[in-house]
Amino acid sequence: MPIEINHSRCIQCIGCASVCPTGAIELDGLRMVFHPEKCISCGTCVKGCPANAIKFLPKVGEEKKEE
Amino acid sequence: MQYDHDVIIIGAGPSGATVSRLLAQNGLDVMVFDKRKELGEPVRCGEGLGIREAVAQNIDIPKQCISTDIHGAKVISPDGSEIVWRDKETTGWVLERKMFDKWLMEQAVHKGARVQSYTRVTDLVYKDGKPQGVVVSHGAREPYEVTAPLIVSAEGMESQIARKAGFRALSTLYDVDTCYQYEMQEYDHENLIELYFGTEAAPRGYVWIFPKADKKANVGVGIGAHLETGMKDGGLKGATPKDFLDKFIENHPQLKNASKLQDFGGIISVGAPIDSFVKDNFLVVGTGARQVDPIHGGGIALAMEAGVIAANTILKAHNTKDYSESLLKEYETIWRAGPGKKVAKRLLLRKVLEAASDDDFNHIFKSITDKDLNKVMNGNFAGPVAKVVAGRPQLVSLLKALVS
Repeated sequence: MPIEINHSRCIQCIGCASVCPTGAIELDGLRMVFHPEKCISCGTCVKGCPANAIKFLPKVGEEKKEE
Repeated sequence: MQYDHDVIIIGAGPSGATVSRLLAQNGLDVMVFDKRKELGEPVRCGEGLGIREAVAQNIDIPKQCISTDIHGAKVISPDGSEIVWRDKETTGWVLERKMFDKWLMEQAVHKGARVQSYTRVTDLVYKDGKPQGVVVSHGAREPYEVTAPLIVSAEGMESQIARKAGFRALSTLYDVDTCYQYEMQEYDHENLIELYFGTEAAPRGYVWIFPKADKKANVGVGIGAHLETGMKDGGLKGATPKDFLDKFIENHPQLKNASKLQDFGGIISVGAPIDSFVKDNFLVVGTGARQVDPIHGGGIALAMEAGVIAANTILKAHNTKDYSESLLKEYETIWRAGPGKKVAKRLLLRKVLEAASDDDFNHIFKSITDKDLNKVMNGNFAGPVAKVVAGRPQLVSLLKALVS
């Protein structure tokens, strides 16, 4: 999973969802939900998040696959 | 075919509420879905609204939706010099956005529109290659289909369904400002909007203080989201508006001792409207279409204005039972020829401001007086601009971008 949402920091501003090129993050009620199958690990949501609530995780699994 | 409704609207913000009110008032069966648990929440906005914008809308905003009246503005340059513009008349309001959104939607319900909150539209239903309905999910209930010959996306920044319908309703980091805001108390304000410029306070943006009732104020900052001003969790560089805001407050003589009542944040569009607003049986209105002021990212007034235009076109479509792109295009054409022109000009101005250095800003502030600011506010740019440019030939090239 390339990102992790810290829900206690998240302010549900949907900033991440509005810049995510693939629609991998959505607001559901009062909580952001992440759809890992749509994520392309571009980091745009992390860069734009005003609350620093999204953690970018190193792509350990993918690096291994490439080798 | 038999439809459940005449029109389905996704989103009960200012544009969705406006469209649904005007359609219901004309006898259409309108269904509005909103994914939020409570309309108006969470607030993601500075809550300012200019009086001219409200008058143009012909709406009489009730007292409970207004936090305080605004009587002008104070603009502070990077070196601390300020220009103050005071007006005896009310120039605008800082709203209680929570109340305002709900009130707007209530007006639509009074006219006969129906709204259902906490209901997420998850997909479009296509028949004969055209959208004829939506799939909605409400709490634990199984997702179900609702049909209508016209779907209106009033979804705001996120615009998931508009994207599914094929619109490029997506912003790049360069075309958005990432914002953080606190509601603070106590702040002795003079009912003026305060704006602070400069790369130290807010790179590619500004700090705002919007006064509210009971010595409260919305204190916020927006910075270019493409900038890499700090380290994000996990080690990626990115824009960190909260850091800028905290620093600003720490250095502010009065605010450093004030309390924070609430955190808000968000992303505002400062880019161009999307390249098309309509398709067969589908229409996008408001912030989702990026009908937003590119200087301050404000969208309430523009959303409502676009809502009026869209509603007029939808009535025509309903009366002729023609929901084709070519008929719906009328809304887009009217919008682009009217409010769209203003937005395009403001986008140019944003790019000019973006190119100005702190030094340019300081110079601009020193050369113009409060009187000039008043002129500019009333749309008379020539005199003040000539004065500013007189001492700085390099600014001429910036300003040329505006007139060309």
